[in-house]
Amino acid sequence: MADLSRRALLGVLVAVPHSAPSAVQGYPKARDAVTIGWPGDVAGWDPNRRFVPDAQPIYKMLYDQPLDQDPRLNLVPGLAKAWQLAPDARSLEVELRDDVTFHDGTKLTSADFRWTFHERIAAGHEVDTARSWRKVVDIETPSATRAIMRFGSPAPTAPAWLAFLGSFVVPKHYMQKVGLAAFGAHPVGTGPYRLAEHQPGTRIVLERNDAYWGPKPTMRRVTVQIINNPSARAAAIESGNVDLTVAMPVRETARLGHIATLEAELNPITRIILLQVRDDAGFADRNIRLAAHHAIDKQALSQAFYGNAAVPLSVPVIPGSPGFLDDFTFPHDPDMARELLSRSGYSPAQPARIRMATTRGQFPADYDIARAIVGMWKTVGIEAALEVLDYARYFELNRAGRLPEATLYSFDNAIGDPEAYAGYLLAPHQPYSPWKDTALGEKVRGLFDVPGEAERIAGWRALNREAVEIGACMPLLRSVQTLVRRKDLAYRRFGNGWVLPQTMDWI
Amino acid sequence: MTVLRWLRSGRVLAGLLAVALVLALAVLAPAIAPHDPEAQDLTMTLQPAHLGSAYPLGTDALGRCVLSRLLFGARLALSVAIPGALGAMLLGAALAYAAGYLGGRTDRLIGRAVDAVTLFPPLILILILVFALGAGPTNLVLAIVLVDWTRFCRVLRHEVRVVVQRDHVAAARLLGFSHIRTLAIEVVPATLPLLVTLLALEMGIAVVVEAIVSFLGLGVQPDQAAWGQMIADGRTALHQAPANLLAPAAAILVTVAGFNLLGDGLGRKLAARLVEDRA
Amino acid sequence: MARLAPCGRRLLAIAQRLLAIAQRLLTVLLLLFIVLRVLPADPAAPAAEIGATRQQTSLDEALPMQFAIWLGWLVQGDLGHSSHLDRPVAGLLAEALPATVELAILASSVAVLLGVAGGLVLFALQWGGWQGTGGRGTGRRGETRAALAETGTMLLMSIPAFLWALLFILVFGVLLAAMPFTGRLDPGLSHPFITGFLLLDTLLVGDPRAFLSAARHMVLPAVALGIGFAPLVMRVLRASLIEAYQADYILQARLRGLSEEQVLLRHALGHAALPTLGLLRAQCGLLLGAAVLVEVIFAYPGMGRLLVDAMRNTDLSVIQGVVLAYCAVVLSANVLIDGLHLLLNPRPRAR
Repeated sequence: MADLSRRALLGVLVAVPHSAPSAVQGYPKARDAVTIGWPGDVAGWDPNRRFVPDAQPIYKMLYDQPLDQDPRLNLVPGLAKAWQLAPDARSLEVELRDDVTFHDGTKLTSADFRWTFHERIAAGHEVDTARSWRKVVDIETPSATRAIMRFGSPAPTAPAWLAFLGSFVVPKHYMQKVGLAAFGAHPVGTGPYRLAEHQPGTRIVLERNDAYWGPKPTMRRVTVQIINNPSARAAAIESGNVDLTVAMPVRETARLGHIATLEAELNPITRIILLQVRDDAGFADRNIRLAAHHAIDKQALSQAFYGNAAVPLSVPVIPGSPGFLDDFTFPHDPDMARELLSRSGYSPAQPARIRMATTRGQFPADYDIARAIVGMWKTVGIEAALEVLDYARYFELNRAGRLPEATLYSFDNAIGDPEAYAGYLLAPHQPYSPWKDTALGEKVRGLFDVPGEAERIAGWRALNREAVEIGACMPLLRSVQTLVRRKDLAYRRFGNGWVLPQTMDWI
Repeated sequence: MTVLRWLRSGRVLAGLLAVALVLALAVLAPAIAPHDPEAQDLTMTLQPAHLGSAYPLGTDALGRCVLSRLLFGARLALSVAIPGALGAMLLGAALAYAAGYLGGRTDRLIGRAVDAVTLFPPLILILILVFALGAGPTNLVLAIVLVDWTRFCRVLRHEVRVVVQRDHVAAARLLGFSHIRTLAIEVVPATLPLLVTLLALEMGIAVVVEAIVSFLGLGVQPDQAAWGQMIADGRTALHQAPANLLAPAAAILVTVAGFNLLGDGLGRKLAARLVEDRA
Repeated sequence: MARLAPCGRRLLAIAQRLLAIAQRLLTVLLLLFIVLRVLPADPAAPAAEIGATRQQTSLDEALPMQFAIWLGWLVQGDLGHSSHLDRPVAGLLAEALPATVELAILASSVAVLLGVAGGLVLFALQWGGWQGTGGRGTGRRGETRAALAETGTMLLMSIPAFLWALLFILVFGVLLAAMPFTGRLDPGLSHPFITGFLLLDTLLVGDPRAFLSAARHMVLPAVALGIGFAPLVMRVLRASLIEAYQADYILQARLRGLSEEQVLLRHALGHAALPTLGLLRAQCGLLLGAAVLVEVIFAYPGMGRLLVDAMRNTDLSVIQGVVLAYCAVVLSANVLIDGLHLLLNPRPRAR
């Protein structure tokens, strides 16, 4: 009934059936090709350069990491057949496969491993891996398939990082020969696909690499259509222009799921939605920070924008992972917020002024959550000027230390280790944290070097709690991935939300 | 009496009604809007339109009243369009009169300025001015004035040149009238129909420019009620609450059509009257 | 001057023309430089944002020096480097510029076609058909019908292009699922890059499937963009038809026994060609402006989308490059249309 009135409002024929998706294309659907609608483009083809979470699945088509993850996020062999971390965590020995070739035909050797994780960083290339692998002082290459990483201080999470953001192996000789600019135009990796075409901001076309060392993908051709606007993505999957898409509003996802040919999924993943905050400017006063956090009704956010599927968080870790605290909650308490603000002389009539940044269309309801928070703050006495960024700009500003007082962000942690959350969210010496206070920073730094597992995890737990209590971190919700695909398209679901075309199949 | 004559034109009547309606709604918005346009209610998001209820046009993704936002959006649109168009007209007309009347070097200089600015597509220039100056309605008005004055200047300059060559203007000068007086009494009235038409049309254009800028999220604060912003947000709400998209779209249509009809009708009436007067 | 032979005079005229164009371009560049370098509200921010681009090194110099340096780079074809997309701006423009121009040309064609069709209908309505009545029947009915039709077209003209775009996506893209509405090609097909004009390239390469796909992707954006300009063409047509029908040679044609259709098609319509050309020249900038939002909504990879993305990411080099490109397009269009005008109208214009 409500449906009909809506249709009448639109003034269009009521009884128009949905035509079969393939009718749009005008030619029979190939069974070995797939098109996915993706919210953003890659920021260049150098996979070590920028840690953009949404670009990782695309990079994983072209490149490989030394270690990989299974759907349960356990570490499994990748380019490396075996690995061994020393008990003091000061060295990591890796044994590489001997049957891997790059797209240009050259064989993968430990020289490429050394180049990726040490030489190019030492040469001063502007890459984010210089951060994640800053502890590396040398990599020994006793043979073409063996490499030993030597760290200046204990690196207990090194194996996990070999499977994480940006740790893709790039070809040393090719990169040195053609230079970085040309590499960006004609990238070469070891991955299951090679780059066939890239129209920046529009689409990426990849062709299967038949000489791939690993399991051969079913899809011969993958097209990534870059569609920034969530409603355009919804329209694209609805009309059959794409076969799978992600990051649409939850309501749209639910509606699309009712279409006979489509399947909708709401997958909680290892990302967390949070507010990253500064320790200076408008947020120098702890009262304001804590008030801002108390004022946010996370349950209401989850209900309004995620159909209650997103779990509210009080610590920057997801439930069920090490580092989580079952017995700690940070309450939603607007009265407490007002009280704290009045202690510093602020009220709704005389609000504290800050600035806030958010993405728009990058993850479901991001812009809506930001605006809702601004509204919640208004009622207690904080006035926030909102600004929209995209991921690339977020990274630029973060690196330059110029993010505003609060930034809404969806922080990825594909490996699930607490170090990859707080260790980066709150480390002042890293370019991922607008929080530059050294007191907390020193504690964070210390936890990176603890070799004993139990001690390390306990340390992170305590740190997470303290960070929230002093208002250094405002976790909001566990991310929920919204995904809509054709019913006859199967893919392997990962706990960290990876969507990998090399695991896709038509059923 | 002359006003009544103008109203006999169907176009003028229709246009006037539309514009007057939008203007009234915009002015009265704070009084008649059922809710605060920025008041959120996360338990009432994306409610469809229901005329008798507390939210006659429904709510948006943050639970804000669409009708209230529509009314305040009218306020914003007109507070940009009217000063913007007037400013562009004043600047453009002043320069056109100077160029057409004084001729010679002034004419050539102003002509070159017009040529240079019109080499940019107007919307593009407005966008980068907004980008350079920063967001906000005042900056948008400034941008519109700095770009659209050319539209007035170009057309008027030609017209002024024609008028200036007429006998009555030369006669006025011979009689000893100052330049300003000649302009005011002899030249300006002859170009009035054109001016009025252009002004009304420009207001319509400015409304669209404001909508485009707020659609792109470049011109206004993210929470402000703006038609373009409502349309951008409304795209995702189309299936749950179509009023989110349809209401601001209809509002833009009515406003722009109103200005177009008014400008077109008035222009014709005034031109016809000038011809009558001279006969 | 009177001593020069006619061809010398023509050459001089062309030279003067070129000089005028160069002057205009220089003024434009100066304006652009002022807007983007001098104006920014937060001067510290853009300077830092320019980041790795070469232009940063010139920021220590005085402004006029900066301008000269920038001009120097431009002349060498160095339009800078996009800090956001990690690609040279010239490369981005090489793909985006032809895309926008192709869209603009198609949209203009749609506007002209729709406008001519509509104008003929309007003309027939007002003048009561041309069969047998000699075409002069005005009558009250004809006038009211015409007035209504005109109001109708005025209403249509009041719908901005981006609303048409949203409407078309909704109706033809989603509800009827009849037309594609994202990008330029179907996912399975590749884009041969020779001129950058996709329709032309696919023909040159001999790929009919790609050509059809490209054509289908252009339909909705081109119509959404062109439909707003059709009423203007209609008016120009109607005005010139009325004017033409009052001319002597029409009467002569009728006396010679030509049918009304032949009179219309052979003589009257031709009269409308020049004013339509003039209209296109005047509307060029507005068409390109309206194309920006159409491109954004259809995710069409043209200059408009490039510009909007660059503004969202404060990518100054790209913004500069794109705006320059727009001016170049407008200038070229003006020159071309002026040339066409001269061709079609060999009578010298009174200066």
